Amino acid sequence: MNKKGVIIGVIVIAIIGGIAASLPSSSEPENLTDERLRGTISTSMGSPILGDPLAPITIVEFGDYQCHGCYNWFVNTKPAILKEYIETGKANLIFVDFAFLGHDSPTAAQATYCADDQGSYWDFHNLLYSSHESQIDNGWVNSERLKAFAFSLGLDMDLFESCLDSEKYSKRIQFNNQQARDHGVRGTPGFFIISSDGQQQIIGAQPFSVFKQIMEPMI
Amino acid sequence: MVQTIKLVFSNFKYLLFSSVLFSSMMIGLLILSEYIFLEPYVVSHIPSGTELEFVLIFIISVLSALVIPMNIFRINLLKASRQKMGGGIFGSIIGVAAGACSCGPVGFAVISTFGSIGVTATTFLTNYELPIRIIAIIILVITYFTTIKSLKIECKINP
Repeated sequence: MNKKGVIIGVIVIAIIGGIAASLPSSSEPENLTDERLRGTISTSMGSPILGDPLAPITIVEFGDYQCHGCYNWFVNTKPAILKEYIETGKANLIFVDFAFLGHDSPTAAQATYCADDQGSYWDFHNLLYSSHESQIDNGWVNSERLKAFAFSLGLDMDLFESCLDSEKYSKRIQFNNQQARDHGVRGTPGFFIISSDGQQQIIGAQPFSVFKQIMEPMI
Repeated sequence: MVQTIKLVFSNFKYLLFSSVLFSSMMIGLLILSEYIFLEPYVVSHIPSGTELEFVLIFIISVLSALVIPMNIFRINLLKASRQKMGGGIFGSIIGVAAGACSCGPVGFAVISTFGSIGVTATTFLTNYELPIRIIAIIILVITYFTTIKSLKIECKINP
């Protein structure tokens, strides 16, 4: 009887342990399904989709908020892509973090998802690039400044601060960084133009003409 | 000064070397600094706000293409000391290094290979890109004028 009791006890503990281990912790990626697989890239942990989710082309941008090249692309190329392709429903854009440049880069990336919790991902993303400073780790995207950015957007500061301070999205950033490495991204910004015909990589902050040349035949 | 430059570059070998040095430095630096892209198409552009960096790259390339052949001329023909040559090469190298390590493939490779030391080095070279390039230009200008002065004396050129 005692033996039986011990065996049942061990089995029960093993089942409970198994169930507990399979439950996601708060800092783990929440959804690792392939429902947002674009080409070979899992964008499920990336930004919300900018533009029509059903557009024939998806532009995946791997970027770092402290990268000056990303800022150059944001200022010089992105506006034309928004106007010609995203606003017209020909393409959509997903930003996937590749936060490798400095110590503040992953924090900045996490902050965008904290803003996303309040439906303000793209506002926060745009504000970060609009406020870009070319120096790395000089404090322009440290925790305090990120909170100040959130405040300026009118976000709920209690929610935002608890999200940022708890590093809730650290594993999400790690997942995105790994996506970049797995796809041979060797610097930022790096792009993949994906359609039903396949995917084409673009390295660096290239001008609009290059994107146009690649995307036109895909439409 | 013009006579000294003529003396060195009237020799076709030095003119050719200077042209090759200028072209390779200029094109190399423009590729590293993402003014020229080779893939998927060869394309060049100057993003707005980066004009000053472009001008500094041009100045470093011109000065390197002047200073290094002039010093090789001194060493080959006059058997002069290699001290000034060092200044020219040092100026060129730090001028190149300043822009190479950013968020592009070189910066990424440095960070991936050297970890936190790589991050520190990349951060330094990126944050101080402009001052480093200006220092490189100052070194090259000083080397240029001291080389001209030496050549005038060593070759007994009368102004």
